Amino acid sequence: MKRCELLIVGAGVAGMAAAVAAWDSGCRNLVLADRADRSGGILPQCIHEGFGLSAFGAELTGPDYADRWAAALKRTGVQLLLNTEVLSVTETKTAILSSREGLGELGFERLILATGCRERAVGSLPIAGTRPAGIFTAGQAQALINLRHQSLGRNILILGSGDLGMIMARRFTLEGKRVIAVVEQNDHYGGMARNHHRCIEQYHIPMLYRSTVSEIHGVGRICGVTLTQLDSGRREYISCDTLITAVGLIPERELARGLGDPDWLYLAGNCHRIHQVADSAAAEAEAIGKRIMQEGQR
Amino acid sequence: METYDVVVIGGGLLGCFAARNLRRWDLSVALLEAREDVCTGVSRANTAIVYPGYDHKPGTLKTEMTVRANARFDTLCRELDVPFKRCGSLMVGFGAQAEAVLRRKYENGLAAGVPGLRLLSGAEALALEPALAPGVTLALYAPSAGTVNPWALGVAAFENAVDNGAQPWLNTAVRGIRAEGGSYVVGTDRETFSCRALINCAGLSADRVQALFRAPDVRIVPSAGDYLVLDQTAANAPGHIIQYEPEDGGKGLTAVPTVEGSLLLGPSERENETDFATTLPGLDFVRERAGRVLPRLALEETIRSFAAVRPNPQRFDGGSVGGFVIDNPAPGFWSLIGIKTPGLTCADELGRHVAEHAAAYLQAERNMAFSPQRTGIKKAHGMSCEQRRAAIADDPDYGEVLCRCEDITRAEVLQAIRRGAVTVDGIKRRTGATMGRCQGSRCQQRLVQLLAQEGNIPACAVTKDGRGSEILGGGHETV
Repeated sequence: MKRCELLIVGAGVAGMAAAVAAWDSGCRNLVLADRADRSGGILPQCIHEGFGLSAFGAELTGPDYADRWAAALKRTGVQLLLNTEVLSVTETKTAILSSREGLGELGFERLILATGCRERAVGSLPIAGTRPAGIFTAGQAQALINLRHQSLGRNILILGSGDLGMIMARRFTLEGKRVIAVVEQNDHYGGMARNHHRCIEQYHIPMLYRSTVSEIHGVGRICGVTLTQLDSGRREYISCDTLITAVGLIPERELARGLGDPDWLYLAGNCHRIHQVADSAAAEAEAIGKRIMQEGQR
Repeated sequence: METYDVVVIGGGLLGCFAARNLRRWDLSVALLEAREDVCTGVSRANTAIVYPGYDHKPGTLKTEMTVRANARFDTLCRELDVPFKRCGSLMVGFGAQAEAVLRRKYENGLAAGVPGLRLLSGAEALALEPALAPGVTLALYAPSAGTVNPWALGVAAFENAVDNGAQPWLNTAVRGIRAEGGSYVVGTDRETFSCRALINCAGLSADRVQALFRAPDVRIVPSAGDYLVLDQTAANAPGHIIQYEPEDGGKGLTAVPTVEGSLLLGPSERENETDFATTLPGLDFVRERAGRVLPRLALEETIRSFAAVRPNPQRFDGGSVGGFVIDNPAPGFWSLIGIKTPGLTCADELGRHVAEHAAAYLQAERNMAFSPQRTGIKKAHGMSCEQRRAAIADDPDYGEVLCRCEDITRAEVLQAIRRGAVTVDGIKRRTGATMGRCQGSRCQQRLVQLLAQEGNIPACAVTKDGRGSEILGGGHETV
């Protein structure tokens, strides 16, 4: 069985930042594994600006920001395993890796999970009605539009006003689609003021506060939703052909399930906690990468 | 004109099993399905229980068939290479009224020969199933109860029927039936079929299909029920099927630990509903009942809600029908109308039953070439490291995980497509992809790509669940 000193799972910003920091702190036997065919995690689909203000002192797009980290990674000797799924991790510090080349076992001394987060799906919400086509999570829609150049629909309703919901409201508008409204259950948008200003206000996209989607209509493809005003209980049918849900992010820690809290396991980036900006995930991961080496020397 | 010995109308669980069992005889069989795939109607949403057989009166066809089908279920699932979990069931009662129901079912079960049936005290039930609410006073334990994935079973029966020579006709909706010189002529929106025997398994439409020839004595009054699905990681989920009998005699709740590891909760019940749409009161009901019987269950780990539709048979005077309705409107014509619970349990038995009638009517010989064995798609999940290594060496697509939640590889998805999946839900029914906690938000696009590539169609023509459910480019045609 192959062995390494440090295994990092996930080559998004957190994984890359942790890898660079660990390398710079003296770690020389380090593997960074990712299921995708490139590094960067979610960043390549985030084509809007706003990344890197603190890490690089510049306002970059997601792909450019990912490239900066990839360049930093490239000057190290970190072994990057792409197209590689980490299937499981055992208590005996062994990871099972799957790729088209085969199934491998990799022993490690320490493990950083930088597996990011997943989006809360519509099925987990108390929404009644049918389960037609035309419902996407915001991140799923972002990947389809920005990476696959697909059209999803024409009349878009967005549920949830976190940063991703607001960014996608602007993105659909720029694609020539009609964003009917962004629906938010609270009385204030969920994301950053900067995104509200740039994505909602500047594009005159309607916000519906203290409201939620309570029912989905349509057989085959979605044709509308019932919108409920939370204070008055008033219900209203709104016609749409696409529903985008931006209703929260959940740290992705499935690999850590059942392991307890061993001293060799670290969580970095969104898999530890949901960060508002990528720089914050990177900073946290860098600190872990450094700390691991210091702890290793003790 | 397409000529067969027997035409089966409807590619749900019942139609697929009828076709499978008809091929035990030397009869040519056509299976007509209106949709693009099998198991898209009543069979697509179900409580997934293989019942032990104590729910109905002893001595009835329904009870006898259920007990027999249950006993045969391991064999059936081995033949068809479908996972089956005989996890046992606990029907739990709270208070005297519920206890009376349990004792009656216990007596029914003893008379019907249900194996291993036991009445447990509240303490015994809690020892067996710690997830239960402490207030349980009596439980009926049926170790023979189990759970199976209804789609997996239906698709397996379909594949086995086709492997044995049954001819599937998908996208073929029946429009008319008439008798002509000892045969039946079945008109569809495609070909016209001629057959000597006709089996109607048209699910929610079975009454209307028979009425194309002669109106049945019963009609189908559908009712809908809402369900929740909890993630396989949900804390304090039961290991047994739990059937809750409330203290007030009202409607209870069933919890099923599925073969996939998720927990199914439901159903609520609503009369006279035909659409697969959930309601807020229905979902609230399920949550409230679940809270009563499984108080520590992590309901926040809900990943999906859905509605099922049941085909309740009703007499025209409004009276309900207790047993299975197997109508025989004319010689050689059998209709399965309003087969609801335990239709999943009895699907193969019902198929055998009508096949035997048809074979006797047609004086058919046994088909000595019939093979009950079917091989399913080899699943990467659950393989040992050595098995998985060998699978990848044999087919590199086994190395590429497409659905992370359920650990389903590209190889399994491609096989599903090559075995007949033409929609995203068709892949789901054959592999389990998109059934997990992210509900397809991460793998759906990969499935769309593969369906487009294998079907040689543009991605925007790929549907979730048949015509009208296009996933991409929505709304173009409404301009």
